[in-house]
This record gives sequence, C-alpha cells and structure tokens, in this order.
Amino acid sequence: MSKNFFEIKNATFKVGGINKVNNVSFSIEKEGDIICLLGPSGIGKTTILRSIAGLEKIDSGSIMLNGKILSSNKINVEPEDRSISLSFQENSLFPHYTVEKNILLGKERKNSGKKKKLNINKIIKLLNINKILNHYPHQISAGEAQRASLARSLISQPDLLLLDEPLSNVDQSFKEEIQVQLKKLLKDLKITTIIVTHDSYEAFYLGNKCGIILNKQLKQFDDPYNVYHFPNSVEVVNFLNRGILIPAKVTGGDSLENDDLGIIKGKFIKHYPSGSNVKLLLQPEDLEHDDDSNLKLEVVDRKFRGTNFIYTLKTPSNQLIPVAVHTHHWEQHEVNEKFGIKRPIYIEHIVCF
Amino acid sequence: MLKRFNIWYFSSFAISIIVIIPIITVFSSFFEDTSQYYELLKNTFFIEYIVNSVILLIGVLFLTFILGVGSAYIVSFYQFPGANFFKWALILSFAVPPYIYAYSLFAFFENYGTAFTILKYLFGDGEYNKHIPKFSGMFGLILSISFSLFAYVYILTRSSFLYQSQNLIELGKNLGFSKFKSFYSIILPAARPAIVAGLSLVAMETLAEFGAVDFFSVNTLTTGIYNAWITFDDLAFANRISFFLLLFIFILFLTENFSRKKAKFHAETKGGFKKKEKIKLTGSKSFLAFIFCFTLFFFSFLFPLSQMLYWTIKFPENLNGLQIIDLLLNTLYLVSLSSLVLLIFSLISNYGNRISNKKFLNILSFLSISGYAIPGVILAIAFITFVSWFDESVIKALGFLSIKKIFIGSVLGLVLVYFIRFYSLAFNGIKSGYEKMNIAVDESAYLLGYSKSKTFLNIHIPYLRNSLLFVIILISLEIIRELPITLILRPFNFETFATTAYISASEDLLEAAAVPSLCLIIIASFFILFTSKYILKDTNE
Repeated sequence: MSKNFFEIKNATFKVGGINKVNNVSFSIEKEGDIICLLGPSGIGKTTILRSIAGLEKIDSGSIMLNGKILSSNKINVEPEDRSISLSFQENSLFPHYTVEKNILLGKERKNSGKKKKLNINKIIKLLNINKILNHYPHQISAGEAQRASLARSLISQPDLLLLDEPLSNVDQSFKEEIQVQLKKLLKDLKITTIIVTHDSYEAFYLGNKCGIILNKQLKQFDDPYNVYHFPNSVEVVNFLNRGILIPAKVTGGDSLENDDLGIIKGKFIKHYPSGSNVKLLLQPEDLEHDDDSNLKLEVVDRKFRGTNFIYTLKTPSNQLIPVAVHTHHWEQHEVNEKFGIKRPIYIEHIVCF
Repeated sequence: MLKRFNIWYFSSFAISIIVIIPIITVFSSFFEDTSQYYELLKNTFFIEYIVNSVILLIGVLFLTFILGVGSAYIVSFYQFPGANFFKWALILSFAVPPYIYAYSLFAFFENYGTAFTILKYLFGDGEYNKHIPKFSGMFGLILSISFSLFAYVYILTRSSFLYQSQNLIELGKNLGFSKFKSFYSIILPAARPAIVAGLSLVAMETLAEFGAVDFFSVNTLTTGIYNAWITFDDLAFANRISFFLLLFIFILFLTENFSRKKAKFHAETKGGFKKKEKIKLTGSKSFLAFIFCFTLFFFSFLFPLSQMLYWTIKFPENLNGLQIIDLLLNTLYLVSLSSLVLLIFSLISNYGNRISNKKFLNILSFLSISGYAIPGVILAIAFITFVSWFDESVIKALGFLSIKKIFIGSVLGLVLVYFIRFYSLAFNGIKSGYEKMNIAVDESAYLLGYSKSKTFLNIHIPYLRNSLLFVIILISLEIIRELPITLILRPFNFETFATTAYISASEDLLEAAAVPSLCLIIIASFFILFTSKYILKDTNE
C-alpha cells in the first residue's frame, strides 16, 4: 500500500464525457504540504479539483487519501463522505444565510477528529471579512465572497483542502498579504492543500510542489525552483513565458555555439553529445549589458517592468532575443540604438531541447 | 453515485408519468370509434369552431398586448401621481375571472340593465336602450377575456422593463434616437421574450376558457369538446377535438418555451446593471398617464366589482339560502389540499431533476408541465376516459370492485386533476427559484458533509421559502377561479363560489350569481394583495 498521504495514479479526468486531462499521476508525501496546479484557462484544472472532491467521477486510475481509495472505476466515495473541502472560484455561499452563518456552517463538517483548536476570529481577521459578517452574499463583492468562502473551507479543517483560484478576485494590494498569512495558517494547521491558479508567482510562493497542466497532460510536477529554472518541455517554457529558444550546436561538455551570439558557456542540466544541434532556452536574465563589448545588437523594443526593462534585440539572422536590465542601470537605450552584450556569455543552467 | 440518486430519480419519473397520462389518453382517441356526432359536426360546425377560436385568439392577443405592454411601459418608465398605486392595482384584474367579467359586462349594458338604471336615475325616463352599446357575442367575449388576462402580459413585461439597464436607454440617447424610436427599436425588442411569454399564457388561457365562452354562446373548440361529451356522450370524439386544440396549444407552448430560453440572453449581469431613473411627467402628459392607468384599473377591476356589489345590495334576498360558509370552506378545503399535494410533489420532482440531471427526465418533465396548456375541460374528460378504461380493462378484468366512484365525482379525483392541471405552475415556480441557486451551492453543502436529503431540507427548503409561498398563493388563486374541472368532477352537492356563480348564470339568474362572484373576487383579491410583493418583486426599486 502507498505511504503517500495523497495520491493520484494514472487518472483521466472527464467532464460531460469529454477528456480534459489524461493519465495524471502525482502524490503528496507529507500531510500539510501545499501543491499548486498551474495551467491556462479551460485546461481542466478545476475538473481535477472537482474529481478529487468527488463531484465528478473518474473512469480510469485512482485517487487515494490516507491510504483509502476515494475514486476509481469501481469506487466512488460520495463528496459528503470524503473529508475534503473545495473552495470554488465563483461565489458558492448559501444565498439565504449571512456571511457569518455561512462561515460557521464550516464547523459542522465531520473530519478525522485529530484537528487543532481553531481560532475562528483569527481567520476572519486574516481574511478581512469582519465588516461583512452580517451581510448577505448578494450584498458583498466578488472578492469578499471569495474570502468568505475560503474562510468556510478553512474552518471546516478538512483532511484535504482544495482551493480553486482562491485569490483571483482579491485586490492586488491585499493579495500578497493574504498569500503570506494563508501559507502560514495552512502550515500551522497542517492542512494539506491543492491550489489551482494561473498566477505562476502565486504558485511558486505557496506550493511545495507545482504541477504544470498543458495539452491535456500534467507536463511537469516538481519543486517551484526546478519548474522555473529547469522547464522540462518546450510547452512549459512557452507557458511560463521564460524566454526564447534559439538554435545552437553543442561544442563540448560545457559549451555550445550560436551563429549570432558566438560561444556560450555554462552547466548543462542534461548531457548532449558534442556536435548535436539543439534549441537553447535563452532567458531575459541570461545575457548582460555591456556597451564596451564588440557584440552589438539593434534594440527593437523596450518594455518597462518596474524593477527591470526588458529589451528586445534583433540578431543578424533576425532572431528576437530578450534581455533584462535593471531600471537603475546607468545607461539606457532607445529603440533603433545599438545594445552591447557582455562576452563571453555564461549561463548558470543550460536548458536545451 | 447513481445508486444514491435513484430514489429521487424514480420519484421524479413517477410524478411526470402521472401528469402525462391525460395527453396520452387524448392522443389514443384517434384509434377509437366515435358516434355519428363526428360526421354531423365535421360537415357543419367544425369549421365554425376553428374560425371562432382563431378570431377569439387574435382579438384577445391584440388587446392584451396593447393593454399589458402599454401599462407596463408607463408604470416602469414614468413617475406620475398614482404610479406606485397602479403598479400593484393593475394586477387585481386577476381576481376577476373572465366568466364573472362577462356577467358584469352583459348585465351592465343589456336592455334595462345597470347602465339604463343609472341613466334613468340621472336624467329621468327615456329611450336609453337604443343608445346603450351591447356587448355580447364575440366582441363581449374578447373584452371579458382581455380585461381579465392582460395582467399576465403586464407583469412579465414590467419585470422585463425593470431589468433593462439604464445603459441600454442611454445607448439610445447616444445614438440620437427619439423617445418613440428608443421604445420600438431598443426597449421593446429587449422585452420581446417576456412579452411573448405573457401572450402565450394569455393564448393558452383563452383557448382553455370555458365559462365566458359558454355564457356568450360562442362556439369554440372548447365548447365543442364539452358538447360532444355532455350532449352526445361521445368521449372519443371529445378527445379527438381536444387533440386539435392540444396541437394548437402545443405550438404556442413551444414558442413560449423557446422564447423563455432566449430570455436568458437578456438578463443583466450584476456588474453591468445601472439603476434606471424614472422620468417625471408633468402637466397634460402626467394627466394622460394617470387617465390611461385609471381607466384600465377601473374597467378591469372596479367595474365588475361594483356591478356585483350593486346586485348584492339591490337583491339582498339572494343571500338567503346561500351557504356562504359552506362555499368558503369547500373552496378553502380544495385549495389547501391541492396546494399541499402540488407543493410536495413539485419539490420532489424538481430536486430529482436537479441532482440526477438526466436528459430523459428533463424531457419527461418538459412534457409533464404541459398540463397547464391543456384546457380544464379536456383534462377532466381525459381523466374520466382514463379511469373508465382502467376500471373496465384492468380492475374489473382482475375481478376487483369498480374504482370509478373513488375517482369520479370525488374530492380525490378533483384534487388529482387539479394536480395535473396546475402541476406546471408549481413545478415552474419552484424551478425558477432553483434556477437562481447556483449548483455550486449544492456542491458546497455536500463538501460540508451534508447528505442529499439534508441538503434538500436544510439548504434548499429555507432558500426556496419565498418561491414556495408564491406558488401556494398562485395555485390558490387558480383553484378559487377554476370552473370546468370543478363543474365536471365535483362530488354531488359539493359547490364552490365558482360553480355556484356559473350555475346561477346558466339559469339566467345573473343577480343570484352576484353574491358568489363577489365573494370570489374578494377572496382572490386578498390572495393577490398578499402576494403582490412577490409578483412584483424587483430588485432595483
């Protein structure tokens, strides 16, 4: 029997008879871990959560919690009999009850009984919903409804908490604070959580592990650091918008060559035989600005991104490559000017496909 | 999961089947022999029945459109003296069934009728009868039905106008439209689904109307059915005419249904809605708006009420011998029993549909709610046909005692047919409550550990409280006014206000019909006033 706290094995998730995500397998080893599932809209992330909660059935594979099979092609434990809580993206509060009553209903949830004593006021304060406790759901904003729904789920202290885009309607100014507090609370209460989001930075901050769902598949399931720095497929690169892929030829154990940029050195994360033609992932922070360099490229665009400018440079072979430069960098360039790139080029992690 | 749903699924299935039986009975009439009445009628009056039904329908639809949309527009978009009063006063016309309106209309304008008496009182003796218009036959019928039913169009159109955002009206202004152009090119098309829905209800009620049609002796398909059964004792032929009427109604019903589906596209989102400011009318415009609404209120409600009140006071002897308390108790008995049965079964059926979400059950429910489109006469006759067939072919064949008496001429039979007739009202009333409840609410309840039954009892019932109350009132109102089913299926010596009024009127004792008619109007008005806040429910006022 599996020793994992939660496990999905070869499950195919369907909605209305249509396959949304095929052959998914991942596990949560320790109770209290947080998993984030990332992917574009409509890809099936919510379907996965609904299936885990028991609101959709699965035809193949299995879903297990605490060593007990919840879903398979033969077994389907009813949602009310799983100690799983799902906080929906849209407003799912009971419209005829006040926010307070809605939240307190969470206390009625039966769970495994080994739960910590919970300070409800603390949750209410954390989510900043103390002013709307006496309001009805139709009297509050979408963001407030989402936070109230989140509070209800937290108070129920389930064995597994599922959050569907929990902060998508929350104001940006308030979002970061909630992320910090939410993570702390989930860790304190040791609530194992699966969060679905399309915000990669939210996923990287909250998750112990991140899963990337693309083209009906779980493409990568790994630590946030690895997902960010070592994307395992071109699709993941494109989804995370991590940079561009340029053609290169492997010239040795720690180097490769591109026609426009010349020799590039660094550590390969995967071995390629010398002479192989590869596609090198070039990320904005991989290249450094140096106007004394003899490698100069034309600026075709400059985007202001707060702390950075992202320059788009055109190479002689018409490749467009991004380069990040700190906003306070001493020398700025305008469009059509020449932009120097420091040589030799050294990339810490060389990712190729 | 299906195993857990079975009890709800099968309850819902069984309820739908019971309600569909009359339709099947009517359709099966095509395989039965009919008497010579069929041949006789086919060659003589059948075309007249159809032509009269069509003329009646067109006349009523035209008039209810003008009255319903006109009043809804004025009340929703303009502020003038009495606007808030007319908002709910105009729905009081529901309290006056077409047959009572017909009695009033006829009696007021007949030779030496109330109009004559008033003129004589005011101006002394004279040849007034020559100058007083006569409202009988088709014209009187169209007026009676229109004034009684225009409120369907008024309520639905008004609610649609209220939900039209100010943005829509401002859009018209931006495009430089005149008020008239804004009305017919923006406001009216946006309310089209509601208007069509209202007119469809009027059409169904018109084709099903029995009392007023019978009183004015206009031969329509409905009276043809009644005659085939009463005069020629030919149930099969009655059912055969019913088939044509049903077909006609079914087309209307489908139109109404598709129209309602489209209506969803006109619903405003919370974010996009901007409260509409009413335009304040002054001077002659304000006076005209007031006069239009007051005239409508007067003719649809005050006029029949006054006529019945006048007769009751003028002929107090009619109060003697009339067991008002008995009539009231009988009416309330039928109302409470039927409401309870309808409410319980409609709730179960709706919940079964919601949680099982099976296409087959949805289609079955769609068919089962068509009961409202079937005229009461047809339902009652189809019910008798079915019970007779079942009694002969199954019960007696198995050697049991006849069950006819249990179902025909009994309160049980009456309630059962009311159930079939008004099931759609109860079902749809509850359904519209359910439609406002996101399915995520159910799912949240399950995820909080609630079972299906606990979700139903602890979450749904409290949520649907207002819808349930509204449904009870609506059903009560219908049953108080209902005539043909009660007339055909009631137990011996069991009368309601409606049947007493009808019997007196059909014996040419219109004055005697006044007291039960007045009681009926008063009770129905009470129900309407009680429920007006639900009928006129609007969030932006």
